[in-house]
Amino acid sequence: MKPITLNKYQLIIMADDKQVVLERILQVTRYRGFLINGINAEVNTGNNEATITMSVSSERPITLLVDQINKLIDIKGVKVDNSRL
Amino acid sequence: MTESKTLTGGALLFEVLEEHGVKHVFGYPGGAIMPIYDALYDSNVKHFLCRHEQGAAFSAVGYARAAGTVGVCLATSGPGATNLITGLADALADSIPVVAITGQVPTAAMGSDAFQEIDIFGLSLACTKHSFQVTDIDDLERVLYQAFEIALEGRQGPVLVDIPKDIQLAEVTERFDKLSHLQNKVQLPLADINQALELLNKAKQPILYVGGGVGMANAVEEVRDFAEKTGMPSVSTLKGLGSINPDNENYLGMLGMHGTKTANIAVQESDLLVVVGARFDDRVTGKLDEFAPNAKVIHFDIDTAEINKRRAADVAILGDLKANLPSLVTDLNIAAWQQKLQQMSRDFAWRYDHPGENIFAPAVLKTISDLMPSNTCVTTDVGQHQMWAAQHMSFDDPSNFLTSAGMGTMGFGLPAAIGAQISRPHDTVIAVSGDGSVMMNVQELATIKRYQVPVKVVLIDNAKLGMVRQWQDLFFDGRLSQTDLSDNPDFVMLATAFDIKARMITKKSEVNAAVEEMLDHDGPYFLQVKIDAAENVWPLVPPNTANDQMMEGV
Repeated sequence: MKPITLNKYQLIIMADDKQVVLERILQVTRYRGFLINGINAEVNTGNNEATITMSVSSERPITLLVDQINKLIDIKGVKVDNSRL
Repeated sequence: MTESKTLTGGALLFEVLEEHGVKHVFGYPGGAIMPIYDALYDSNVKHFLCRHEQGAAFSAVGYARAAGTVGVCLATSGPGATNLITGLADALADSIPVVAITGQVPTAAMGSDAFQEIDIFGLSLACTKHSFQVTDIDDLERVLYQAFEIALEGRQGPVLVDIPKDIQLAEVTERFDKLSHLQNKVQLPLADINQALELLNKAKQPILYVGGGVGMANAVEEVRDFAEKTGMPSVSTLKGLGSINPDNENYLGMLGMHGTKTANIAVQESDLLVVVGARFDDRVTGKLDEFAPNAKVIHFDIDTAEINKRRAADVAILGDLKANLPSLVTDLNIAAWQQKLQQMSRDFAWRYDHPGENIFAPAVLKTISDLMPSNTCVTTDVGQHQMWAAQHMSFDDPSNFLTSAGMGTMGFGLPAAIGAQISRPHDTVIAVSGDGSVMMNVQELATIKRYQVPVKVVLIDNAKLGMVRQWQDLFFDGRLSQTDLSDNPDFVMLATAFDIKARMITKKSEVNAAVEEMLDHDGPYFLQVKIDAAENVWPLVPPNTANDQMMEGV
């Protein structure tokens, strides 16, 4: 069987700090075919803004995930920043 | 001294619904939503009691699709809420604006495994566009406003609002500033119309590939105008049917797994696809790597995530199709291409001269299509009858053909027809169903009876799960497994038990008179049409196969 090559990416996600925003991101990430390798989330801080840094891997192009996370209502922006991988 | 009347959460819900022009809702009461049902008493909103929450959800979907508005459904906590899920998933797959209100156990009991408690907020994440759980009464009005705005904004979809019982009972103390609307956060890039025009002018064999987004964007007129003025041959997805005038001489019909031979060959040979509100669904493309292999792509969509998702676009035009498409109207020099495809359409036209006395399902659906009044709304369930309806019936608007396209949900047709009929009381509504599908929400015959909803049900009855049986015959060596329904109930007796006039026909000589009787009948009608169980839907593109390698019979 041909081995699957997983590409690694790091995402920086800015979001409105609303209920279950983190769950929404995790659900979309799994459903769209990305493994979560690590996550650092500052949510429910009371300052209305959440920052989530997430390392993911997949054989799929990262633009598919970025576009889907961006569609979530509470998301302000998503950047791919592989500099710290 | 007069005392000011207190406003509860339940009453506020109906106030907001009325502010959004909601006249009808579909639902089913229960313990955790009782304060809302109590407030219903004092509202001007008319509630239709469905006989299962899934029926309520699909009636809301049918209502929304037929009328081009938001459909609203209500359910209690726990099983009531979970029963909505299939309808919400269906609405998400087909981008239908629905607002679902669920009751929840009181906030103090939440998270304690209380009676009829389920985490519907958590369950909603995968089957809604967005969802809310209201835990502060003073958030309720803002959340309800947001729910309607999100359901309708951009690519439309279902939104769920979960309201605990104590919030429904609580007194509203703070009102929402209705002027502060949501902002569309996605700033769409300016489209490169010039680049698209360049591709158009170079194309010798272009195809207009029309999807469900056309109707959702209220852009039927613009798409028809584009098709007429450019003369570009067009094909439609299942959900796009009705967008192109079926009499357009360059319209080739549906493409994909059960598409017309001409549509599929034309797409495969095309050198440019102009894609409007479509998403390269797997039922459309067949083997993706071999789909329209020589075509450039101009992709119009409102949803950024659909661009390059399954097929790379050479030019992406994001935003409002209604505003953007007219910029691309231009003269094309494609007479040879048009003539070739018109000839192919004539050569491969559907035939209805089926031998024998048995009723040929495509012919009966063609007859209904020819005899039904203009602006008739047809719903379907899922299976062979659905594909025959798509192939052999003609629709003058996408809001006149309601079918579960993305999710393919059996049980959709009957409750969706009820919702459609309530939203359009003066139009004829026909539910084309199968004997497998109709049993999935057969309890909604009681809703038809209660409200005397004059839906016409056409049951295409082969006593089989016909599409699965077809695939078992073709791709599983005829090993028929769990697809025999020869012990179905007596459908005429069943419909009659709900006071619905019913008739069964078995011979083609009975078809015309029966269809006329059904269409002339003032109230609900149930026409059972017995067909040969061995009939298959043709053509068929086998799984993981290019669309030009279709099977046309065995």
